Amino acid sequence: MGSAAAQIPTSFGHELRACLRCRLVKTYDQFRESGCENCPFFKMDEDNERVVDCTTPNFTGIISVMEPSRSWAARWLRIGKFVPGCYTLAVSEALPEDLQNLCEDEHVQYAPPKRV
Amino acid sequence: MPRRGDEDDDDLEPEEEEYQAYDEDEEEEEEEEDRGVSSRKRRRSEFIDDVAEEDDEEEDEDDDDDYGGGGGGGGGRRPRPKRRSGSEFFDLEAQVDTDDEEEEEDGEDDFIVDGGAELPDEDDGRRIQRRPLLSREDEQEDVEALERRIQARYARSSHTEYDEETTDVEQQAHLPSVRDPKLWMVKCAIGREREAVICLMQKYIDKGTELQITSAVALDHLKNYIYIEAYKEAHVKEACKGLRNIFSQKVMLVPIKEMTDVLSVESKAIDLSRDTWVRMKIGTYKGDLAKVVDVDNVRQRVTVKLIPRIDLQALANKMEGREVVKKKAFVPPPRFMNIDEARELNIRVERRRDPMTGDYFENISGMLFKDGFLYKTVSIKSISSQNIKPTFDELEKFRKPGENGDGDMASLSTLFANRKKGHFMKGDAVIVIKGDLKNLKGWVEKVEEENVHIRPEMKGLPKTLAVNEKELCKYFEPGNHVKVVSGTQEGATGMVVKVEQHVLIILSDTTKEHIRVFADDVVESSEVTSGVTRIGDYELHDLVLLDNMSFGVIIRVESEAFQVLKGVPDRPEVALVKLREIKCKIEKKINVQDRHKNTVSVKDIVRIIEGPCKGKQGPVEHIHRGVLFIYDRHHLEHAGFICAKAHCCIIVGGSRTGGNRNGDSYSRFPSLRTPPRIPESPRRFSRGGPPLDSGGRHRGGRGHDGLVGTTVKVRQGPYKGYRGRVVEIKGGSVRVELESQMKVVTVDRNFISDNVVVSTPYRDAPRYGMGSETPMHPSRTPLHPYLPSTPGGQPLTPNSASYLPGTPGGQPMTPGTGGLDAMSPVIGGDNELFLMPDILVSVRRSGDESVVGIVQEVLVDGSCRVVLGSSGNGETVTALADEMVVVAPRKNDKIKIMAGLLRGSTGKLIGVDGSDGIVKVDDTLDVKILDLVSLAKLAQP
Repeated sequence: MGSAAAQIPTSFGHELRACLRCRLVKTYDQFRESGCENCPFFKMDEDNERVVDCTTPNFTGIISVMEPSRSWAARWLRIGKFVPGCYTLAVSEALPEDLQNLCEDEHVQYAPPKRV
Repeated sequence: MPRRGDEDDDDLEPEEEEYQAYDEDEEEEEEEEDRGVSSRKRRRSEFIDDVAEEDDEEEDEDDDDDYGGGGGGGGGRRPRPKRRSGSEFFDLEAQVDTDDEEEEEDGEDDFIVDGGAELPDEDDGRRIQRRPLLSREDEQEDVEALERRIQARYARSSHTEYDEETTDVEQQAHLPSVRDPKLWMVKCAIGREREAVICLMQKYIDKGTELQITSAVALDHLKNYIYIEAYKEAHVKEACKGLRNIFSQKVMLVPIKEMTDVLSVESKAIDLSRDTWVRMKIGTYKGDLAKVVDVDNVRQRVTVKLIPRIDLQALANKMEGREVVKKKAFVPPPRFMNIDEARELNIRVERRRDPMTGDYFENISGMLFKDGFLYKTVSIKSISSQNIKPTFDELEKFRKPGENGDGDMASLSTLFANRKKGHFMKGDAVIVIKGDLKNLKGWVEKVEEENVHIRPEMKGLPKTLAVNEKELCKYFEPGNHVKVVSGTQEGATGMVVKVEQHVLIILSDTTKEHIRVFADDVVESSEVTSGVTRIGDYELHDLVLLDNMSFGVIIRVESEAFQVLKGVPDRPEVALVKLREIKCKIEKKINVQDRHKNTVSVKDIVRIIEGPCKGKQGPVEHIHRGVLFIYDRHHLEHAGFICAKAHCCIIVGGSRTGGNRNGDSYSRFPSLRTPPRIPESPRRFSRGGPPLDSGGRHRGGRGHDGLVGTTVKVRQGPYKGYRGRVVEIKGGSVRVELESQMKVVTVDRNFISDNVVVSTPYRDAPRYGMGSETPMHPSRTPLHPYLPSTPGGQPLTPNSASYLPGTPGGQPMTPGTGGLDAMSPVIGGDNELFLMPDILVSVRRSGDESVVGIVQEVLVDGSCRVVLGSSGNGETVTALADEMVVVAPRKNDKIKIMAGLLRGSTGKLIGVDGSDGIVKVDDTLDVKILDLVSLAKLAQP
């Protein structure tokens, strides 16, 4: 896949957050500075408040996807169409409704996490 | 329809028009067809009609075509060259066609083709499939063509949508196949799992596609390992080279079937928000309940308030620089902070305003207090928020005095976050607790993921309303019989006696105590369970010998200990006893003598005539060292047990002269027994029942074997719903003579309910009261007791008449007490007082059918003036006392109380528990538990 990889988290601790739409994992600062590579329409880099709304520190597991198109795991997790990068297996929260609407406006798909 | 002068054309045209409609999509087809012209016309007329008519859109175009056709027809020959340019293949067709008229029609076709040219050229693909079908089966081809067209039309628009839809079916399509990369399990340094996979990602970015792995996974719950996805093991090893956290000497392949398991992580739902109940995981407050006040998701910290555990004295010592003796394992008890007390101990208290919230906090050496609570900010990881179920005690403690119930309510609702799936079910009564619809009651109609559709109770509202399940709470009313399905009281059953918002007070079936539960933890149920009634070998109501040679009856089973009512007759003494403090169970059956030297044995009914419990009476449950444990179900303390000396009691109905009754009552062969003189003896008939009343079902003054001869209803099993009389008790089962089937069946004892309300006079019953009568099985013929003419009890019971009217419901259940039970309102002689105006009675005169009527006036001789008809519109008759039977009320009936202090009061029967009726008294709105027999159905004005 030709697309450039997303930023790689610069730390592994509490600062990590996951995008609620694409589940990309980066640090809070990374999201704040350069937003989410898969979801630029959230404009997290422009509105820092958005980072808190669009990302969550509550996620489960990390998967580094090197080859999204070839990786079965990425396909299974439905992140096969995103850029290479570190993702989480699951987030526990859903995207706030207004941002879900934003996704709709942008014609991007959003699937809320399945509750068990 | 355009017409041309040509006659031939007239014939063809209708067909042709229809054909055109079909034609649009089928241009190529036509081309092919034309090669086999012979079949063409026949085919058209056969099936094309359908197509044109079925498809509206096509019809529209059809109209257009008409015009186009007309225009084209008019100048049919002129535009021919243009036609050629429009569509090559129709020219071909034109060439094949020899008929000129046909050619003209082709001209029309051509116009249509122009219109249809916008259609997608996907048809190319289809043509191949279609070809063989054409010659074979035209009809099928037609359907298929239609189908294809529809598919082609919708395929484009929906194509992208389906692409990423996450349906389960779709997910199945992503199951790993042999062509996919494999997952390999690789060891890594503990705690470095995330770091390892992120490093691998970094390495990939640095080295590019050189790294031939496709992904790397670190699971939170799996320590010491990561997964790497790659086609070959060598790729995995290569990728791990140089990474010090990954040990790739051993690489394990994950079987293809287990691959999905690796990645299926349940997203743990953490709803950490304000007012959530949490528990502290570590430190002094470990296990303590706390309430979230603020969540800082960015810093992963949470502020909670909890009840401080602070040793003020120690704190004061510390602050004054005195030596603090650190006692390990000493945790101060939770206590609200008293600032004044702190000041008295010279502890410095600073009052500060929180700049963010504007609230004032008392700051004592860095700790913040408000309203006595400690406000503590901790890491989210140091609290647990999953499945927190505060107990009542905790919640009550948490509610500072003065705080009203509403605040409590708000926090109660946060408990709902822990609800299980399927919490609400169709038909549940619910109440809205939040939002605009607050306090609206309704019934659950349908449950969706988060929303519950309810049918509101109030009129003028839509038929169903969708309400978020978090805004709903189950709703119960006093009188409901419920079962606790979660929480600390799980398993208990009982009757709702009071509803305080979302807290129910339940009268437990087992302990007869009030228990407080959340409405949410409860389901309506007719089940009667005992809850926890046993620890080890000891069960509720057992008589046990204690360590210090004292003894007592277990009156309550707590989580790790028993409450024992000790065998001290003078005053009730209750001890909390641990299991190991109990020496053994006392099961020896002995007899003692009462004041009048009557032999008292277990199950005999005695009345206490001396001491603090004077006047109480009930069956003897245990006898030990001259002390009786008497069970009086009207005694609300100590689970109804009273301890009394034997010589302070008299056996109810016993003779004063003293009898020679002895142990023969324990005979296993009741039929061989000499008939005792004491009326209550019939209860001894079957000594087969379980020795202990564990189920709570047969508690109450009548003992187990009082069941014999009573009318019961089968609650479960194949005979569910049948009513019959208990003939015999055999161990855990009961032989019941069914009323309706004239046969005796064996039913599990737990499957019967003894609170049957019989409106027919129970003629047999009074014979129990007759001291002179030989106790015998009340009846061998099922119909016997119900036939008034049967010379059963009547001739033998001179005063039976006076018993009858008063004993509509309870009588069948009270043969054991023989009508002499002082608690029972059925006392011979006061029958005149018993009936009262405005109650419903059924009047039965010899030979006639019984008729319901309303008592209008009670006459001096016990007879009544009764207006017949349930609404009181029939004739007025004077009925003798023995011709009337009080109509037993049912649940929710309005009733009149006929005995006791409340005699004459009216109320509503909100529940039935055994022989007790739970009555809400109209005047006082009190809820009273009264004997069912003392209740009569009130005539509705």
